[in-house]
Amino acid sequence: MWNELLYAFEAVATLPNFIAMAAGIWGGVIIGAIPGMTGTMAVTLALPFTFYLPPVTSILLLVALYKGSTYGGSISAILIKTPGTASAACTVLDGYPLAQQGKGGKALNMALVSSCIGDFISNISLFFLAMPLAMFALRVGPPEYFMLMAFSLTIVASISGRSLVLGIISACLGLLLATVGEDIYGSFRFAVTEDMKSGLGVVPVLIGLFALPELIKMIVFRPEDNNAAMKLGDNRLTMAEFRGSVKSILRGSVIGVILGAIPGIGPSTAAFFSYSEARRTSKNGDKFGEGELEGVAASESANNGCCGATMIPLLALGVPGDVITGVMLGAFMIHGLTPGPLLFQNNIGEVYSLFIGILFSSVFLFVAGKLTAGAFAKISRIPQTLLLPCILVLCVFGIYSIGASPFDVSVLLVMGIVGFVMMILNIPAAPFLIAFILGPMFEDNMRRSLAISRGDLGVFFHSWISWAFFALTVLFIALTIRREWQKWREKSRNTAQSA
Amino acid sequence: MFRQLKKAATFAAAVLATTTLVSTAQAADYPEKAITLVVPYGAGGASDLAGRALAETARNYTNEQPVVVVNKTGNGGMNGARYVTEQKPDGYTLLLSRVGMALYPAVYTDSPVAWDDYTFLGILESTPMILAVNANSDIKTVEELLAKIKSSNGATTYAASGPTAIDGFTVQALLADADLDPLSASTLVPYKGGSALAAALLGGHVDFLAIAAGSLMPHIEAGKMRALMVYAPKRMDALPDVPTAKELGYNLAGQVDGWSALFAPKDLPEDIVAKWKDILSNVATNDQWLDLAKKRGSVSVVGDQDPAAFVKSQYELYNGMAKKFGYIQ
Repeated sequence: MWNELLYAFEAVATLPNFIAMAAGIWGGVIIGAIPGMTGTMAVTLALPFTFYLPPVTSILLLVALYKGSTYGGSISAILIKTPGTASAACTVLDGYPLAQQGKGGKALNMALVSSCIGDFISNISLFFLAMPLAMFALRVGPPEYFMLMAFSLTIVASISGRSLVLGIISACLGLLLATVGEDIYGSFRFAVTEDMKSGLGVVPVLIGLFALPELIKMIVFRPEDNNAAMKLGDNRLTMAEFRGSVKSILRGSVIGVILGAIPGIGPSTAAFFSYSEARRTSKNGDKFGEGELEGVAASESANNGCCGATMIPLLALGVPGDVITGVMLGAFMIHGLTPGPLLFQNNIGEVYSLFIGILFSSVFLFVAGKLTAGAFAKISRIPQTLLLPCILVLCVFGIYSIGASPFDVSVLLVMGIVGFVMMILNIPAAPFLIAFILGPMFEDNMRRSLAISRGDLGVFFHSWISWAFFALTVLFIALTIRREWQKWREKSRNTAQSA
Repeated sequence: MFRQLKKAATFAAAVLATTTLVSTAQAADYPEKAITLVVPYGAGGASDLAGRALAETARNYTNEQPVVVVNKTGNGGMNGARYVTEQKPDGYTLLLSRVGMALYPAVYTDSPVAWDDYTFLGILESTPMILAVNANSDIKTVEELLAKIKSSNGATTYAASGPTAIDGFTVQALLADADLDPLSASTLVPYKGGSALAAALLGGHVDFLAIAAGSLMPHIEAGKMRALMVYAPKRMDALPDVPTAKELGYNLAGQVDGWSALFAPKDLPEDIVAKWKDILSNVATNDQWLDLAKKRGSVSVVGDQDPAAFVKSQYELYNGMAKKFGYIQ
């Protein structure tokens, strides 16, 4: 094995490979930072180029683009409240308040450090735990998946901000919107126009909900003092701040790895999941949502922790979990490599080269992130009245470029208005988004489970994995109810005292 | 608002078209700019790979003009198909069509695009479908599978993209051939996409499935799945011992086959059709094209059939099945 590893190291440590990775990561960071342009798009656009590159170089390029864009999304999430990719939506919650307080640089550094650590842990897991994690992922059938989704929906309690009721309302709206389009049996719901038959895209909904309300607010209320630019105060991340978040970073990375290994879940859910856990366990839990560095760390470590792990089901089983790994599967096939157990027998040299190459990506990510975030941070100095129209233009073009579809642009604009109304009513946007993302997985797996059992609810309690997630769900709901009750009692006691 | 915009755009396009008709009519130098090839399904899937392989090969014969692949997904591929039929028939927007383009209008009477709303340029490849079970299953033949389905009273499960998708019809056709009720003899569990379908069988969450070979071959080669039958005109080179549906005497199932084709908007000028016939005849013998097709697990059939007649026969086949199964009256 050591000989093979050494040989693989020699094979991968070539200039073209390093150039491909550096270019991929840097390109990915920039594409990820531009609202509307996503990692999926970057990887799809790069696919034809890989026809002409050696297999390992091609895959490294695609992986680098994926990782870069997952991190890059956090830059715009923090600086302009516009998550560049869906997985950075959770970073907005604390990242943007930090930027408003003049700590944008600090937040960017925290995002970068936690992304790199998440990325590294993910890569190590890919190296050592690919097979056991893949076997675990395979056991997650529709009933287990459903229970996991039920548990994930309890995240709503952690991201609702001040009012749980408003958070639940927001999540219900998100679930409702997720039903638009074709269901898994091929019947159409709320398909008013031909375009609506295929449902609403996550990216237009996400950007409409997060980025546009700020702009509309400025148009409607015309605040006088908004010409001032955000200050860029202390940018350095102190050792104490890092130490305070290190637990959340490690936990976030592990959450990212486990959720990443299960096909279809993806980095956005992992980020919200990790954020929710961090908020529950942190001693600063109450300050989450108002500009807490630990929140940024939890979210960013988890979404990058996912990246390496999504390769696990692809390489070990030949099952891509999302569109990006789907494109990678295509790239493998074009080069005559077939992911799956046979890959480890027939092409172990390539597999080792790939693993070693991917390990380097964390370093490249750190350098590219440092350079890019530094440049992008200057955006904060642009006055809002100039910046927001530019963001709108970027969003509209970015969304249009995904599928050249005017319908996506109208979804973006309508969701902007919906987001603005929600903002006025103090309804938080994050529960809406997470429910919108989880909704289809929740529904599809419930219906699949019931199809398999032919309507028998017992199917949800057949395996220990289901039981485990069920127990966690119940526990989490109980804890939330207790917390809410304590809050309510305290409040009523206070009002009684003051009266 | 967009409808009005679209109307305005159509009008502008019409004006443009009348003025440029003269120049396109004598378009001996077609193509003069990049050609867009719309793939109506997601990146990385079988159709996407076919589209990208065609784009890479065809560019050698298109006056150095690139063929750019664009994925326009949704609604069973109909979004992409509809987009292409709404474009100007100038040869600069083409569709990588799949069996879905004939199947969808055959099953849905309100299909946004009819099966013959195109100019048919050519059939590209045949992509066989495979009936498979998990390697741990004790089922070794199609007969054993059918016996189990019959005795289990509807409790067996199979994975498919949907009841009216091609991979649902593969199973339903087989059930109909075996005189079982195609809709209730076995329970359909819907999944999205070839790899999710394959994972469902791999994890033992369903009993069997019959989907495109490209998604199954890696698992069959790795010994994780067992192929029982092939839906194709002839046996697959990679699976010489697995019989075809036709050999086993299944009439409906024997006619089911996956394919990719190249379509253009209706009323494409004759000379551009001729140019594409020419390009495709070059592609047919191109080593890169043949090599990529083999790697995808498909068989190149460029130029073998009259495309219009073939698509018509496919439409009629699935329309007949949809009536027989009770999806339409």
